[in-house]
Amino acid sequence: MTALREGTDLPGLQKEIKQAKINLYAEASRDFNPIHIDEAFARKTPLGGTIAHGMLILAYISQMMTAAFGKNWLTGGKINVRFKAPARPGDVITVSGRITRVEPEEDYTLCRCEVLCENQDGETVISGDAKVKVKHDGSSS
Amino acid sequence: MPENQKIDIREVAAGYEFPPVSYQIDSARVADYLGAVDEDNALYRDTGLVPPMAVAALALAALSEGMTMPPGAIHVSQEVEFLATVSTADTVTSRATVARSQNRGKFHMVTVALRVVNQGEKEVMAAKTSFILPGDVKDNEPA
Repeated sequence: MTALREGTDLPGLQKEIKQAKINLYAEASRDFNPIHIDEAFARKTPLGGTIAHGMLILAYISQMMTAAFGKNWLTGGKINVRFKAPARPGDVITVSGRITRVEPEEDYTLCRCEVLCENQDGETVISGDAKVKVKHDGSSS
Repeated sequence: MPENQKIDIREVAAGYEFPPVSYQIDSARVADYLGAVDEDNALYRDTGLVPPMAVAALALAALSEGMTMPPGAIHVSQEVEFLATVSTADTVTSRATVARSQNRGKFHMVTVALRVVNQGEKEVMAAKTSFILPGDVKDNEPA
């Protein structure tokens, strides 16, 4: 698990967005909005083409938080984000985060983090903050 | 639910409660989800645990079963809190309430609060989802 110190970087990751992955996500999440999966439809919209589901990109942040905090994320995690720009097929999304504050409580340590997803041009796709209760006894059921 | 029985999200006022939707997230769907998001954390390997964002995504899918959104809807923000683990053996129930519905001229802003409980009525997830929609429906903001 990531060291619980202010300023510690979370284990970031990179993901290439592919239309095939977007289609798989549509199936798995049952979100078949044509803006994500219908190129002909999406081309006629102001977006000019398909975009990834915001929840898919958010899932990458959750993946980073799970890698950093393990099961604590599943039982005491909270995230609050804004979708700033669409992620498109061909984009490479870099997911990063950092612990901004560590607050010891009686039964757990509350870690506050900032989280960010940027595309290959440095444009912010998602920004926000997260917090997670890290249990002192190692349990998190 | 047939499309013609679904509610246009812009036509409901703050406080409106969607009918609850119950479902299981079986191991096949978890495997599909893990594949779609390229997640290989050992936490999900043969443990029956459901990735928390899969719970959130399927709660949104359950919501979409009861409503329609116009083309051009944009998901602008998302808040999610994970309160307890969900396993493939659980049956979860998603309850959704319109927390905010405001007409802002050309746009309509809607926030939906979601609450997911397991078969023991233990809350496993809470979320708030906000959309901006093309707005040509009357203002539903309560006085």
